[in-house]
Amino acid sequence: MKINLLSKALLVVSLLFGVHLQAQTITGKVTSSGAPLPGASIIVKGTSNGTSTDFDGNYTLENVSSNAILQVSYLGFVTQEIPVEGRSVINVELVEDTNSLDEVVVVGYGTKQKSLVTGAISSVDSKQIKSSSNQRVEQVLQGRTSGVTVTTSSGSPGQGAQIRIRGAGSSGNSEPLYIVDGMKSASIATIAPGDIENIEILKDAASAAIYGTEGANGVVLITTKRGRKGKINVGFSTQLGTQFVNTDMELMNASQFVQYMNEAGVGTVVDNGYDTNWIDETFENAPITRYDINVSGGIGEKTSFYASMGHLEQEGVVGKENSSFKRKTFRVNVNSDITDFIEVGFNGTYTLSDRFGVVENSDTRGVIQNMLIIDPLTPVTYPSESDIPQTVIDNAIANNVPILRDGNGNAYGYPSYSTGEVINPVAYANAINSTLNDDRQSLYTAYLKLKPLKGLEITTRYGRESGKTDILNTVNPYFVSSEAANTGYTGSQNKFERRRWLWENFITYEKSFDKHNFKLLAGYSAEDTDVITTISRSGTVSVDEFTGFNFELPGFNQQINTVDPFFDNMVSTFGRLSYDYDGKYLFEASIRADKSDKFPTANKTGVFPAFSAGWVVSKEDFWKEDSFLDYLKVRASWGENGSRTNLRGNSDQTFITTVLNGLGINYLGNTGAQITGFANTNLVWETSEQLNFGVDLRALDNKLRFTTEYYKKTTRDAIVSDGSLITPGSAGFVSNEFNAGTIVNQGFEFEVGYTDTTDGGFTYSINANLSTLKNEVTEILFVPEGTSLVGAGAPQNGDGVTRFEEGQPSWYFYGFETNGIDPATGEIIKVDTDNDGDIDNLDKTFIGSPHPDVLYGGNVNLAYKGFDLNVQFQGTIGNDIMATYHQPSRPITNKPVHFFDNRWTQPGDNASFPGAANVIDSYDTDLVVEDGSYMRIKQLQLGYTLPTSFANKIKLQNFRVYVSLDDFFTFTKYKGLDPEIGNFNFNSIGVDRGFYPTAARAIFGLSAQF
Amino acid sequence: MKRTFLAFLCVALFGIIACDDDFTTNERQNVQDLETFFLEETNVEQAVIGVYDLVQFNYGRDWHSAFLVKLLAGDDANAAGGNSGDQQQLQDIDDYTNVVSSNPSITSIWDIFYRTIALSNLIIENVQDSDLSNKDRVLAEVKFMRAWCYFELTTMFGDIPLRLTVPQGAEDFGLAKSPRADIYAQIESDLADAITGLPDRSGVADNFRVSKGSAEALMGKVLVFQEKYSESLPYFQSVISNPEHDLEPNPADVWSIDKEFGIESLFEIGYVSTTSRDWGNIAWGGRNESNLHIQLMGPRGDGIFGLDGTGLINGWGFNLPTSKLVDAFDSAGDVTRKAATVMSEEELIAAGGFVDASAATGGEIWDYEGAIRIKYATKAEDTSPDGVRELNYSTNFRLFRYAEVLLLAAEAYNKAGQDGNARTELNKVRNRAGLADVDSSLAGNALFDAIVNEKFLELAHEGQRFWDLVRWGRAATELSGTGYSSKNDLFPIPITEIEKNTEITMDDQNPGY
Repeated sequence: MKINLLSKALLVVSLLFGVHLQAQTITGKVTSSGAPLPGASIIVKGTSNGTSTDFDGNYTLENVSSNAILQVSYLGFVTQEIPVEGRSVINVELVEDTNSLDEVVVVGYGTKQKSLVTGAISSVDSKQIKSSSNQRVEQVLQGRTSGVTVTTSSGSPGQGAQIRIRGAGSSGNSEPLYIVDGMKSASIATIAPGDIENIEILKDAASAAIYGTEGANGVVLITTKRGRKGKINVGFSTQLGTQFVNTDMELMNASQFVQYMNEAGVGTVVDNGYDTNWIDETFENAPITRYDINVSGGIGEKTSFYASMGHLEQEGVVGKENSSFKRKTFRVNVNSDITDFIEVGFNGTYTLSDRFGVVENSDTRGVIQNMLIIDPLTPVTYPSESDIPQTVIDNAIANNVPILRDGNGNAYGYPSYSTGEVINPVAYANAINSTLNDDRQSLYTAYLKLKPLKGLEITTRYGRESGKTDILNTVNPYFVSSEAANTGYTGSQNKFERRRWLWENFITYEKSFDKHNFKLLAGYSAEDTDVITTISRSGTVSVDEFTGFNFELPGFNQQINTVDPFFDNMVSTFGRLSYDYDGKYLFEASIRADKSDKFPTANKTGVFPAFSAGWVVSKEDFWKEDSFLDYLKVRASWGENGSRTNLRGNSDQTFITTVLNGLGINYLGNTGAQITGFANTNLVWETSEQLNFGVDLRALDNKLRFTTEYYKKTTRDAIVSDGSLITPGSAGFVSNEFNAGTIVNQGFEFEVGYTDTTDGGFTYSINANLSTLKNEVTEILFVPEGTSLVGAGAPQNGDGVTRFEEGQPSWYFYGFETNGIDPATGEIIKVDTDNDGDIDNLDKTFIGSPHPDVLYGGNVNLAYKGFDLNVQFQGTIGNDIMATYHQPSRPITNKPVHFFDNRWTQPGDNASFPGAANVIDSYDTDLVVEDGSYMRIKQLQLGYTLPTSFANKIKLQNFRVYVSLDDFFTFTKYKGLDPEIGNFNFNSIGVDRGFYPTAARAIFGLSAQF
Repeated sequence: MKRTFLAFLCVALFGIIACDDDFTTNERQNVQDLETFFLEETNVEQAVIGVYDLVQFNYGRDWHSAFLVKLLAGDDANAAGGNSGDQQQLQDIDDYTNVVSSNPSITSIWDIFYRTIALSNLIIENVQDSDLSNKDRVLAEVKFMRAWCYFELTTMFGDIPLRLTVPQGAEDFGLAKSPRADIYAQIESDLADAITGLPDRSGVADNFRVSKGSAEALMGKVLVFQEKYSESLPYFQSVISNPEHDLEPNPADVWSIDKEFGIESLFEIGYVSTTSRDWGNIAWGGRNESNLHIQLMGPRGDGIFGLDGTGLINGWGFNLPTSKLVDAFDSAGDVTRKAATVMSEEELIAAGGFVDASAATGGEIWDYEGAIRIKYATKAEDTSPDGVRELNYSTNFRLFRYAEVLLLAAEAYNKAGQDGNARTELNKVRNRAGLADVDSSLAGNALFDAIVNEKFLELAHEGQRFWDLVRWGRAATELSGTGYSSKNDLFPIPITEIEKNTEITMDDQNPGY
């Protein structure tokens, strides 16, 4: 209407002035990244004369004057103005707009214009994901946005990662909720990064509250790619690369080790001619290859589709195939407008993966852990048969097991001096254990959307996730020592299946009058999850009877475990009201009620409200048009979420059972029964309350973007499943799940970006983010004041090395504080923290925190002509790492070289590490705690894109090649293998048991679109 | 699938309000409600087996057994193992000076004794008012177990919480310590019920179950520990005069696989070699039906002890005899019983084995004083021949046997001034060991000394010695120079108990800890 009036006015003006230029017909094609863009709009600027492109991106516009200006626009792309300058053919390439204010973000049960958002939401789009060599979505997110911590479980190919949004809000599992195309997903590991259109991270409670129960730890919303109506597009991309370990860690060499052991009083350790650098020997280069192909486009005028296939093969830097990952992914997304008011769609994915892993996450029996402590006087393999020690041969004969050998038949070295569980790590990785995770996962959603009235949408959506996992573990016979031996062929198999369906029905209604805009959402949903273990069996077959790892043989069915199925059901109702006045004053309120089987009858339902408001200051009349600030919004939100992870349900009852940990309770052939755990009838929902303040601004013609947030997240009644943490031994059995206390996470987040293109065609963009995080346990219920819950253990250490205690960061490091080394004796001076004149275990105290004070990340993109350079970095400041791979009970073990370099050697030495004879006392002190701050260049990538004109000649729309160094450069003072320390458990963050490090990768990549 | 469909249908037709109660209820699998469980005799029997199972777990748990925790403070055994730091918590108990309240082995036995008590309490609570046909025998059997556990606990920890009911929830978890006298009173009360309700040995359904004789013998022992000597005598007399209890004729048979649950046994915990434990499925820290402890206590391999000709298999080296024990055998002229208990280095080499200290860490075999142990040794015949031998020992622990009853009776007679009867009981033990009667004039303190020495030899490596020394007031002299001090007379209350039990504070910790 407005445009019409304006154009009429202009027409009048032009008539008045008598300017009459020649009119002509213009044709052309609108493309994006070389692909046709159907539905783009082309308007002659200042007129009502316009059209839109057809399915092939073509348009024809008549009656255009030769000096007119064409405005070409498409939602989500930068609008272009192109002077006609007398041409009759004008092809337009549109560029996606990443910082548009009208960008639409996905929120729970809908979408929202970014300019109207009142919560804290971070976004990552497909372009940022495209050229990453990370194979898992979690890793792709690392360092991309503020407030998101990604820690990998381990660097082993295909191993998962933990995402924490705004810190660990719970003493237990703090994994965020994953929603893929509207469907709740247990894991996002099966999503191929290349299929992702965008990822939104809902950080504050107000954004996440619509997900109620499971929103407390934030929500990760993943939207996969959709086809565009029009021509069929084919894309292909590949990555070929090599992986290797790039570490500065150094262990003692043979001569240092001999000297150290002799000083420790172990005179039997002598130089035997071998000097093995176990770090070099254990890690080797390993290949990685990936192929992805996708097809997308339209079928007829109503339907569009996107289909893809991906194939990944990655070997491990430890044990090659024995820690490898293979994955095949298939995806089909289809949506169709059946009529004007009926839309249907389907998104489905199927993933097959095989993951082999070496033994890890053990402080006594891990491959890497063994690598760190085995004596350097052991050879990787013996130079010849005659070098094999007689004891090795005797032990093999006495126990009727073969000698461990490599692929060439050479005998692996057996520890020359180290005793106990220590095994040659190369043999361990290659010749002893094998674990295969064979995984098949599917996830699909189907929806039907009705639009019977203007502004009204009724959606019903059904999602189903199902998976089958088969874990095969085999151990070959060997005899290294009486603690490290297997005298038969041992195998175990665990197969389980999981299914989940989620059915959601919701209505949205949008209405505007005057400048008041309302949007209402109301819905309900039901979900059901079943996890069933179909097979759990194990056994050993003697060397003489072994005919292969056939799990149908009775020998591998000697122990059959009963694993209880897991069921989870929930029904929910939810609603949301969004209101804005002229896009200037914004308000939103939401509420969700969840009813879950996990809580006692009286507390079954949890209700979670949220409110938020925003003010777009830059829309006010007083805002000067010419201000360097283009946009300014301030916003605040408050909300509550719940969490029911870690819960089994029925916690309000005491049961009796004849099965414990999968095995029947049995005494001499008779079935026994015991209590499962004491009832907790008082269990209530864990609630996390979060307050958030934010400011968004754009400046310098929208080139500069800046967002800052402050949040305070208070988790009350945090649920802990391990009832032994509150039950005194004298109670006999342990309590069921309980509400443990209050945890406060607070911090600031900053995101800043600047993008510009110079007149010379040089495009550059800089993005950076930074988050601070302060994590504190403010209250522990039940447990008397001044005491703590015990978390991660360490060898021969009854106190544990992590604790959960009031007034401290959650799961902080616990041990002796030291005050140097006694110059007279070389002993460690431990601090008498309780001042009782005595050093005993009660003096153990806080010796470090695994939580960083600051997390940061960012990237720099430079592009000129066809070339582009992308640098992405990520880091932490202020977190500590505690080494627990040392073995107090095994004195003849190697250590990092700083134990040697800085040791006390004689009376009078002012050393920072104890004399060799006293080193074992250091294993539970701050001497094994180090600053874990680091900065890592996640990616350094140089690419070249063929000019479109040339590409078109060879029938390509787009063609890019690149080389990339990923996780290659790391800056840290940490002296261990890899500061990006893995963890498998919430209470062992920062605990270094000897982890499979993140491999550096050199990648060659190529992508093409046809 | 049907459930899913019905849920769908229900939601579709009525909306969630109408159907969610049923939909959001999932029963726990493989469990039963307490209320219904105890209505049937067979179920009650399962719960009783559960009690035995916990005792089995407690005495044989890998690194934290009640067997070793009770034993290592004695002067008959050293912790030994791979080196001086191997299983530090066990070394600490052996070495006295650094026993800490976070010692995981001490914590473990505390927890599992109380778990056994809790399950016993549950059975008693649920059965005592019932009219089940097996009610009396079950109550008697379970009260014996509760008494056994409290006796072990109070011996090692002194004043302790006396819990006789099942906590209804966290609000009941806090419980203050009761004086040892109250614990003893409860033990006596439970044992009195057990004596009334238990059948004679010939009348028990399974050979592993305790009988009236077990309860009488334990009552006697508990009274002796309270120095109520005269009161204890009738109980001992009842057991001794009962033909169903006697000594094995041959000392070596006492621990042999052929004589499990034999005539000498009053309370014995069984293990089996038939559960096919291997390095993959062994439950570290968990419950194994095989006796992993035997492997733990086998002479150390790694080229240190060669065992050819002994019929033994190498193990992890814990629990070596002291030279004091070996010397005591030699000075007593004890040959037969010694051979069933220990083996000197010379005897080992003579049999075809060897000892090579240079193969040990630092060139020294930690805690080795010239002999290995034969009692509860890694005997090849005790494990599965086809399976992983190290992990499938079936050796039973004889926790309470007739020889101990004789020696306790001898002590009680001696203290009650009946030295003639004391010598009679003592001589039964000596004669079985192939030793002559004591001098018939031996009396008073000299006779008591003889009983003490006999018990040292007869019950070596069985976990009695240290606790006897403590109650006799002889620990300070017998253990001088070992690091022992009077604080070691009791173990520390586990720190985990103090931290989580709201009714116990650091002030309640045993003296010296």
